[in-house]
Amino acid sequence: MEATSNEFLRGTLKTIVLKLLAEQGRMYGYEITQSVKERTNGEITLTFGALYPVLHKLEQEGFLLTESEEVDGRLRKYYTLTPSGSATAIQKVSEFERFVEAMQILLQPQQGLSIG
Amino acid sequence: MKKLTPEQLSRLHNHLLGNSTNDALITELLDHLACEAEEYLWKGYNFDLALEKITQEANTKAVKYLRETYQHEVAMTAEQLENASLDDIIFEFRNKAYGAYDLRQSYPFALRSALILGVGLFMMLMAFLSGMAQGSWSFLSTAGMMWMLGVCGVAYSLGTWFFRKAPHRYAVPA
Repeated sequence: MEATSNEFLRGTLKTIVLKLLAEQGRMYGYEITQSVKERTNGEITLTFGALYPVLHKLEQEGFLLTESEEVDGRLRKYYTLTPSGSATAIQKVSEFERFVEAMQILLQPQQGLSIG
Repeated sequence: MKKLTPEQLSRLHNHLLGNSTNDALITELLDHLACEAEEYLWKGYNFDLALEKITQEANTKAVKYLRETYQHEVAMTAEQLENASLDDIIFEFRNKAYGAYDLRQSYPFALRSALILGVGLFMMLMAFLSGMAQGSWSFLSTAGMMWMLGVCGVAYSLGTWFFRKAPHRYAVPA
């Protein structure tokens, strides 16, 4: 599961992060991994090695804002969406939904095609 | 919710440092691992066991993978590369706050200041010697002019050096 799900995950990681931030508003890295794990019942687990590069990339592209806060003696970095980030989140999610629909059509067994 | 003590935090921090984590990521990773550790503690593990589990997960290989993905993902865009100097390219993902990058950036300025200072001092010395040899001094003579020019040069180079570079740049911010 690990290796294969990673392969599918790589292209959708940005969409997942943007979507979660659009829903929850303000999150930090560990919170994102936990929330993905809970909502998928442990089916998808984000490793920190995959998550943080994406977060920093999105920040660099101007989709995310960060603020650091001290929590329990360590700095915690919170991420929020910028206006262009929100727009991208909506666009990416709808693109991905279309993709999933198309995939489902592809995965369904073809019936009656040989007749025609 | 169980909290980590400062010394437990610093053990995690040392682990990350030992695996040569990216400067840009280390505070976030520390928080991430600390959250994980707290979850283990909450589930009833003791700290040593939690640390062992975490260090297993965040081993050198994982951190190296993180560093590589990071550099691949957050690399300069083509547009940025166009405007980047060689220094910017070499020092991407490296420390720019002080040290080699800083020295390279301020090199042209240092060179110019040193040149003006050197020429100024030399002119002052020549004027002084010529004044001594003649036994009389007038600011309107060639030697007097050279002296004044030298003083100006020295004052200019020291002044700009002090305002641009000098002590306050290296002072530890409060």
